[in-house]
Amino acid sequence: MRRRDKGLSSAAPNVVPADVTLVSAIRSGDERAMAQLYERYSGIVYSVALRVLGDTGAAEDILQEIFMQLWRNPDGFDVSRGSLPGWLAVIARNRAIDSFRKRRPEVEMTEVVVGIGPDMVRGIEWNRTLDKIRGVLGSIPAPQRSALELSFFEGLTHTEIAEKTGEPLGTVKTRIRAGLLALRKAFNR
Amino acid sequence: MNGHEQFADDLALYAMGTLEGDERLRVEGHLQECPACRVELEKFRGDVALLAFSASGPRPPARSRERLLAAIAKEPRRIETRASRPMAWWRAFEWAGAVAVVVMVLLLVRQNNDLQRRVADLQSSSARQQQQLLQAKQLVGTLTSADAEHYVLVAGKSPPQPQGRAIYVPSSGTLVFLASNLPQLPPQKIYELWLIPTKGTPIPAGLFRPNPQGSAAVVKPPLPAGIEAKTFAITVEPEAGSAAPTSQPIMVGSRG
Repeated sequence: MRRRDKGLSSAAPNVVPADVTLVSAIRSGDERAMAQLYERYSGIVYSVALRVLGDTGAAEDILQEIFMQLWRNPDGFDVSRGSLPGWLAVIARNRAIDSFRKRRPEVEMTEVVVGIGPDMVRGIEWNRTLDKIRGVLGSIPAPQRSALELSFFEGLTHTEIAEKTGEPLGTVKTRIRAGLLALRKAFNR
Repeated sequence: MNGHEQFADDLALYAMGTLEGDERLRVEGHLQECPACRVELEKFRGDVALLAFSASGPRPPARSRERLLAAIAKEPRRIETRASRPMAWWRAFEWAGAVAVVVMVLLLVRQNNDLQRRVADLQSSSARQQQQLLQAKQLVGTLTSADAEHYVLVAGKSPPQPQGRAIYVPSSGTLVFLASNLPQLPPQKIYELWLIPTKGTPIPAGLFRPNPQGSAAVVKPPLPAGIEAKTFAITVEPEAGSAAPTSQPIMVGSRG
């Protein structure tokens, strides 16, 4: 692999570069930085796409598309948009739903903002974070969890969820909000 | 949320990206003017990202990595070094176009600001006029209401006498007339108010019947502007009114 910038090569070997450092290196054309970000976050991007699409080939296409967009336009992300993995995960979900519905992307990458800081998911905290999220989702009432998942992973509107579940519109709305608040509370955000 | 609970559920859906149509527009409109709800939206977006992490599962196959790295190698990022390259002749037109666009945008922004100021002024003026109109309607309604109770204040124990008070603005021809303690008239008769000018014949200034308590009001009858009044008078006329007095005045006044 060619390296086009000295930015990362000059870093101390045992120091794990922050996401913003890697994105900055990508701006300079550093392919190794791109590979490192892929190692970090390809799992979450692929998982989200696979969850939405249920097809490994299609999920791989979404994965490829998103990282290529990051390569072509690293300025699309900056720290004001929140954490890089959160940003990538939400973009993966949006792109996967667009792909599932066979429509053009409705939200540009640069329009996606996630309201969690970069320290939220890093290093060994990552597994704890995942356990905690799964714990919350496992503890909330099943209809609430179902409403959340139908909305996020299937991209259904509250009207579509109400039609699908036979629940009143207001109930569906309230369940989605309550589910999100439960996640927030667990992380004291 | 500072009392904006009505948007709470919709903000969550908006953060999910699943709010559509009028509901979406309503939320977007509210977000533009509500900092508290913008903060709440950011929190919901963070919640949504946490929800996305719940999907974390299998890693992608190794071939995905190779595919990406191969694609990147074929598409190296070009880092522009414009300073080292001479400007092509067509670039000059591009720059000129860009400058023209910037100037046009600045002009439009200025024009937009002027228009916004004018709209704000007009809205303010309109609100004042609405308020004045409302007050005027209330005043006229009070003067002409059949339910209005008129009280006549007299000195000592004098019995109440028929009396009228005319308030007249010659320059605009605006007249307000109030009367009290007038005797009732037979159905075929009516009181008629006359403006007696300093020069010329009496001018009809309105027909009226007193209420059961003997009170009456005439507000802004159609009168020409600029007529100097010598006095006002009241006659009893046939119920359709008259163009000129047909009886002797029962009340005559002079400027007080």
